[in-house]
Amino acid sequence: MIYKVSYVVLGGQHPGGIRNQSEAPKVGDKVRLGRKYFEIVEVNELLPPRDDFQFLHATLRPRTKETEDK
Amino acid sequence: MQELLRTMKNIELFRGLNDSQLERIAAISRREDYNEGDVILKQDAEGDTMYIIAQGQVEISVQVKGTSRLAIYLGEGQVFGEVALLDYGHRSATVTADEDNTVVYSVARDSFENLCMSDHLLGYLVMRNLALDLSFKLRHRNTDLADEV
Repeated sequence: MIYKVSYVVLGGQHPGGIRNQSEAPKVGDKVRLGRKYFEIVEVNELLPPRDDFQFLHATLRPRTKETEDK
Repeated sequence: MQELLRTMKNIELFRGLNDSQLERIAAISRREDYNEGDVILKQDAEGDTMYIIAQGQVEISVQVKGTSRLAIYLGEGQVFGEVALLDYGHRSATVTADEDNTVVYSVARDSFENLCMSDHLLGYLVMRNLALDLSFKLRHRNTDLADEV
């Protein structure tokens, strides 16, 4: 299965990104967009799956010093 | 060629194509390698090529009233440059490699259109998938805007 993921950052100050990946994104995963790191806080289905593709929406929040230490 | 064919099977743009059709697209694709900070294409330039990201990540930015505004990051399996390829306009954004060892495959408009005309099913499937990709990008943008409110 290929997961096409729309990553949207909370607060709207960062444009997020789109990528394909072979593993489903999970809450708590770390994601890098540009030079910034984010943490997934929510994952939803954006569109129904087609063939081997799933279309997901993942909400991100910036990783803080506190979350980096975890 | 085999590496490219494996990559193509993981890209939505080529969903539904058989091996023979994938090979025909691979034959008109050219590999390009970039490192972080390399500009792949510039806003307002003439453009007749679309790109498929096989490895790495790119940054898309748009100049608005003299200020560069980050528009989106695109990673593996994504397509860019398709707007100018489809509408014959100038490049709508600047695309910069965001990682070392970013690998993209470029497809020129003339070769692509000739292929679509010679195999209408291939042309339909790729154009359908391009439309779905643009729709996905629009949904991403709408969700992003909704989050700003």
